[in-house]
Amino acid sequence: MSARLNARDRLARLLSVIPWVADHRDGVPIDDIVARFAYPRTQLLEDLQEIVFFVGVHPFTPDSLIEVDVSDDQVSIRYADWFSRPLRLSPEDGARLLTAGRSVLAMGATDDEDDDEGETDVPSPLLRALTKLGTALGEGAERAVDVRLGTAPADTLGVLRDALDRGVQVELEYYSYGRDELSERRVEPAKVFSDQGNWYLSGWCRRAEGDRVFRLDRIRTAVVTDIPVEHNAVGVDGAFTPSNDDPRVTLQLAPTARWVVEQYPVESCDDVGEHLVVTMAVSARAWLERLLLRLGTEATVLQADPSLGTGLASSAADRILARYT
Amino acid sequence: MDKLERLLKLTAALLHAEIPLTAEELRDRVGGYPDTKATFRRAFERDKDDLRSMGMPLRVEPVPGVDPPVDGYRLDRDEYAGTELAFEADELAALHLATSLVQLDGDDTALVKLGAAGGDAPADSVGRVPFNDTLATMIGAAVDRKALSFTYNDVERIVEPWKLSFTRGHWYLSGFDRLREDQRLYRVDRITDGVSLSGPAKAPVGDVNEPIDLRGWELGDGPVIKATILVDADQATYARHILGEAVDRPDGSVTATLNVRNIDAFRSFVLSFLEHAEILEPAELRADFVEWLEAQR
Repeated sequence: MSARLNARDRLARLLSVIPWVADHRDGVPIDDIVARFAYPRTQLLEDLQEIVFFVGVHPFTPDSLIEVDVSDDQVSIRYADWFSRPLRLSPEDGARLLTAGRSVLAMGATDDEDDDEGETDVPSPLLRALTKLGTALGEGAERAVDVRLGTAPADTLGVLRDALDRGVQVELEYYSYGRDELSERRVEPAKVFSDQGNWYLSGWCRRAEGDRVFRLDRIRTAVVTDIPVEHNAVGVDGAFTPSNDDPRVTLQLAPTARWVVEQYPVESCDDVGEHLVVTMAVSARAWLERLLLRLGTEATVLQADPSLGTGLASSAADRILARYT
Repeated sequence: MDKLERLLKLTAALLHAEIPLTAEELRDRVGGYPDTKATFRRAFERDKDDLRSMGMPLRVEPVPGVDPPVDGYRLDRDEYAGTELAFEADELAALHLATSLVQLDGDDTALVKLGAAGGDAPADSVGRVPFNDTLATMIGAAVDRKALSFTYNDVERIVEPWKLSFTRGHWYLSGFDRLREDQRLYRVDRITDGVSLSGPAKAPVGDVNEPIDLRGWELGDGPVIKATILVDADQATYARHILGEAVDRPDGSVTATLNVRNIDAFRSFVLSFLEHAEILEPAELRADFVEWLEAQR
């Protein structure tokens, strides 16, 4: 709020502020404008008194000018004929609001969830707002955006939300994708969230003694305990963030494998001829095995931390092929 | 003159104009522009971009009775205001909350216009959906029935967008591809090169009511191959989640039949299970998979 706004941002605000204030014959408290339009107070007053006051149309005779009156922390505006109605929401503006609104609705609705409970016939304010928005934007709005945040297994989600509400720990049977192993652990849940289409639980893992993130669809079973949480887990937002302790691997990638750089956090990326040489953190060996198998001849391991072992792709290929013979 | 003052006067002049005004007429009526012709033109272009970026429906029309034709500009007052949106306070608050809960990249002009920009944002977001101005342009075009031009798979295309869907972590655009003269689906993050508006859409909107829930192996131009895979018990939860329709077996494992159009994507998917999955049929996909792995031993 303290940052100064540029001319475009101020114009966007004024085109709504002017008609809104003009609509109130007795004026509006300045603080209301500051709050509703995120308009820093000093800048608002400067703009109203030193700029809006001089706006009209050619030849700028006094009767064409907007009249602004600021007194006792109130503002009133008259004769703002050209700005009697606010600038419309553009399709792009509408797209943002629709997407945000539909995302939030999608977060509430999960797979198989029984929605009858507590449901009433009164639509939520968000639903009402989105309906109005859709009507204003035109028939295309209903069709144009669809957000699916991934379905969280409803029973797991229910257990976790229950544990969060009660502030107690949960017992999880969890499949770690990176390590390719199933484990049992007790977790103090901090937060359940959806990120880029998947649902996650973040919290304090008592086995790892640290903040961890778990993907809901990899939780095999979740059981609420009566043990209260002990840690004030911060709750992490993202999925995987490399740490300094993770082993590193350096790969040479064919041009067709450039997507790797866009999909995973890489630490360095150099063009060598038509190839790419990238260094990245490896969360676990199984993760790297999958990546290499998938890339096939598009990737060559140039260097790998000794802890990752050798024959990364070939030993994984052998294990899989054992099923096919 | 402050740039804000110039932009406000320019907007007023455009709204006031009964007939389109030329750039020079606007310069004379608004004032505050640089003197030389070239610098004026640059400033005027920037101002037009600013007004457009805010969503002003700036009309460019030939000035009547002038030969040779000259472009003139004006704003239609009804178009400018659009449909009136009378939101209740709780509806504005809900929209404000929704945009803070979901982290969307890009600017927040929409909330400002509605006077819903203030208030505290919750400290925590509950979700993250990738979103940027290009996506807003695409959705806007789908709402407004405009065509888009962009490059996809190294081919320049003009596409009439119908729907933007976010599913399984990615945005997809479905619409009518004028080049292919058919309905197509694109992954938005694979669209390269600038996306720009390209005139009004012409083809009728096709049937997009079916949820777009395509998986990578279904995105392709090839014929459908029905493939059956088996996933072991320890990864069954994950498999069921990804595949939707899966058949449980007594030992806790699951089988599922997939519609494969893209063999590379299918192979990658099966590889993601490492040794915990197996392609049961058809034989040709099993053979392809084995051959791929043999090459890596």
